[in-house]
Amino acid sequence: MIDAIASWMLQFGALNWLGETGASLVAVALVGITLFIFVAANAIVLVYVERKVSAFMQVRLGPMRVGPMGTLQTVADALKLLVKEDIIPQFADKVLFRVGPWVILISAFVAFAAIPFSPTWVPADMSIGLFYVLSVSSVVVIGIVMSGWASNNKWSLYGAMRSAAQIVSYEIPVGLSLLAAVAVVGTLNLQELIQAQAGVGNLFHWIPIPVPNWFIFNNPFLFIAAFVYLIAATAEVNRTPFDIPEAESELVAGFMTEFSGIRWALFFLSEYANAAVVALLTAIVFLGGWQSPFPDIQGARIGMSVLAVLAIIWTFYVKVKANRLSIYPLAVTVVLAVLAWLFPAFAQWLANPGLLWIAIKGGTIIFMLMWFRWTFPRLRVDQLMYVSWKVLLPLAMINLAGVAIWMWLTGAINLVG
Amino acid sequence: MGYFKNIADSVSTLITGMKVTMGYFVRPREHVTLQYPDEQWPNPKRKIGVGELDSYNVIRSKLHVDIDDCIGCKKCERACPVDCITIDTLKADKGEDIGTTKNGTQKRLLVTRFTIDMTECMYCDLCTFPCPEDCIYMTPDYRFERGDNQKTEISTVDRWRNRQNLIYEYATVPPEEVERRKEAIEAEQAAKLAAAEKAKAAAEKKAAEAKPAEKENPDKPEPGEE
Amino acid sequence: MTRLNAEEMVLNMGPQHPSTHGVLRLKLKTDGEIVSHIEPVIGYLHRCFEKHGENIEYQMVTPFTDRCDYLASMNNAHAYAMAVEKLMGIELPERVEYLRIIFAELQRIASHLVAVGTFGLDVGAITPFIYCFRERETILDLFEMASGARLLYNYIWIGGLAHDIPPGFVEKAYEFLDYFDDRVREYNRILTGNKIFIERAADVGVMPPEVAINYGVTGPNLRASGVDHDLRRVQPYSIYDRFDFKTIVGQGEMGTVGDCWDRYYVRVLEMEESAKIVRQALDQLPAEGDVQAAVPKKIRPPKGEIYFRSENPRGELGYYIISDGSNVPFRVKMRSPAFCNLSVINEIGAGWMISDVIAILGSLDIVLGEIDR
Repeated sequence: MIDAIASWMLQFGALNWLGETGASLVAVALVGITLFIFVAANAIVLVYVERKVSAFMQVRLGPMRVGPMGTLQTVADALKLLVKEDIIPQFADKVLFRVGPWVILISAFVAFAAIPFSPTWVPADMSIGLFYVLSVSSVVVIGIVMSGWASNNKWSLYGAMRSAAQIVSYEIPVGLSLLAAVAVVGTLNLQELIQAQAGVGNLFHWIPIPVPNWFIFNNPFLFIAAFVYLIAATAEVNRTPFDIPEAESELVAGFMTEFSGIRWALFFLSEYANAAVVALLTAIVFLGGWQSPFPDIQGARIGMSVLAVLAIIWTFYVKVKANRLSIYPLAVTVVLAVLAWLFPAFAQWLANPGLLWIAIKGGTIIFMLMWFRWTFPRLRVDQLMYVSWKVLLPLAMINLAGVAIWMWLTGAINLVG
Repeated sequence: MGYFKNIADSVSTLITGMKVTMGYFVRPREHVTLQYPDEQWPNPKRKIGVGELDSYNVIRSKLHVDIDDCIGCKKCERACPVDCITIDTLKADKGEDIGTTKNGTQKRLLVTRFTIDMTECMYCDLCTFPCPEDCIYMTPDYRFERGDNQKTEISTVDRWRNRQNLIYEYATVPPEEVERRKEAIEAEQAAKLAAAEKAKAAAEKKAAEAKPAEKENPDKPEPGEE
Repeated sequence: MTRLNAEEMVLNMGPQHPSTHGVLRLKLKTDGEIVSHIEPVIGYLHRCFEKHGENIEYQMVTPFTDRCDYLASMNNAHAYAMAVEKLMGIELPERVEYLRIIFAELQRIASHLVAVGTFGLDVGAITPFIYCFRERETILDLFEMASGARLLYNYIWIGGLAHDIPPGFVEKAYEFLDYFDDRVREYNRILTGNKIFIERAADVGVMPPEVAINYGVTGPNLRASGVDHDLRRVQPYSIYDRFDFKTIVGQGEMGTVGDCWDRYYVRVLEMEESAKIVRQALDQLPAEGDVQAAVPKKIRPPKGEIYFRSENPRGELGYYIISDGSNVPFRVKMRSPAFCNLSVINEIGAGWMISDVIAILGSLDIVLGEIDR
């Protein structure tokens, strides 16, 4: 993508003075800035969505005052955080206190470099993409320990220590469950991982239900691995029920206790950036990334019709006929299905792979994370370790072995070759 | 086996919990939030009290005094557990009619000061019961921000300024009037005092006049003693 | 090889801490996550209730009793009123007794709702807390209808009630009870049966019955330890002997008898029992009648003293009142249940992790207004 932008820039005579290297550098800067804007916008949107989702689950309304339906609330909050007084505690380690939030943010941010957003949009298409994402996102723990230690606050220290133990432990099930998917294709390149999930096939290879060829439907072990990954990743990004580093009822705010203003906003940015990385990675590895669920025009038409029927059944099943808001999914799916049958171009667009699909899949995963967060109590430290080492890790290992056996059974062992 | 049962239990109970939250997520009609200044809690419209005139709302939010009906008996002041009511009264002039209350009681005391410190009031309603004229009562108005607007807009400036204005003064007697009456009473008292002193002086004088006569007697040596 | 010099760290939890239920300060001695000693420091909310009581008239004390345990104002005022009435030998009309029971039990439900919700909050479940508060608001609506206030009612007076219930109150109360049964089922689905919640609460902070009795722990906390002691049952005051209800005793369904889960679940079940009592009281409520007994305007109990105890949502609430024959009490002493319940925290909390200490504190259901008075 960098090369493409660079060569596109060099087409213009006025930019020729940059040269190949200069053009590449400018392209890198452009992509970086775009990604940063994406990360910031992502946080602002997700904070709003999270507040609304939590409110709706808790029979509340959530932000309603700033902007229509409170949509500008997080913008206002961000502005408030930006203009807040910058407080550094007197006995804090001043350097680490300043550096900590940035380390966390950067480690969350650079993970986006390898994420493919569409067949062509991938900031850096590297051969070890998955490995890269995993490794940079575990740098977060250094930033957390830094900020926890630098705050010179016992609660922060507890948060940092808990976080270090937690993130290091959960790296392993995360890695192993992703490895199960990697074993199917034999590549760490995220683009190739997605490309291997094209088309439609049978559910679990033998059950004759047509499903997209995604890894989650590839075999039962990968189906489990997807959930193992989702749970472990929830823990890795410190979200409830695994949010013990910032458990507000125990540690006040954990490692963020002493932070305020813009530094605190950085924590928020990185939290939601992390959540986005996890969601996108789940989508890429298990749900086919930017692949459309429909193989062609006919598939799109049939698929949308099935969705519309499901929406109708759902609407009547949960008896929300009189509910204004619950009509929307029904209406949307029905309209989309009708459009798909009327206009082949629209059906084609639905069948095309692209940013839309990865956004929908990632959004669903993020909604799942929010749903977890606003339903569950929090685990204790030792229980957290129990879940990691005694439940998720064995499960992930069994999955890995199971995937290998499954591939041998289905004769797909030389899929890459 | 307990290990697997444990995992199965976890998954099933967690899904049960998730169903509850999702149930509310898809039913926004059951949401209970009220958008405060636009929507408000419906206050129970309920009058308590004896008759039509002296009935008042049950909601206890702000003390109010109908000062025209106050006879200055100070029963509420004594009933208040936190001493937030302060009443000063002056006697009306002789023969002066300072009005009657709505119950028809002739007022005899002029209430020159009736303050309620709403920062101290604890809304216990104890002051309203002893009142013989039912002139002190709680109003359902729970909004203490005062400004030129009593409706929906909350003016921060006004709210801030009026925080110190929570000592409510109900007496309507102008200060000059109070001064005049005080002076009059003082003058009257001074006159009385003077009269009393005069009388006292006169009595003393009289006594003094009588005393020497009496005193002379003991001075006189008893003839028999010597 | 040099040894690391490890020592215990003193951690100040509170007075400003999200889950100390008010302004309580806990001095924790911690070794890593493990807490080896807990020392509660109280008094941040001291408002001289007992000294106030010595300086104001009997009926003026009632609003101050409301403010001691602000989550169970009705129960506090009820106990105080009963104490003074017993001292004076006042006979109450039937209707007053029934109405008082209705209000006290509704208040018990409201208080337990807060206890259940905040315990969920302490172990990290935020949503059940909001659901509990939604139901509590409904109860407060009922209270507002009757008394005009939502938190500090001053409704139960010496010799009766402040004023009669409004028309429509009984119907609304029935409506609430019908609605409430489903809600308890919902809490069980989202919280009580939740595996994570059970893991957090079961077998944690076990309070054996002898420890509970030795420390003077009362109320749901004592019953959760397996001691069948409910003043409404063992020493029925007011007209509690007329109602059919179960005393809930901890069974240790998910772990040991007397753990946090039991303390939580006893409260959930007690809400159902209280709802039953309210329903019976509403059924039997005399339709007509005065709500004030014949009480002299100036309350002057005869010379003497009395200790009256009643079952508060938090435990045994006692009032010790000495009268010197004047209209001002000579002494009003309050035996507050939460104070005694808190004293057990070191015994059952030491040796657990910080997260568990939070859970144990939450399961004890303390109200700092009552502890500090």
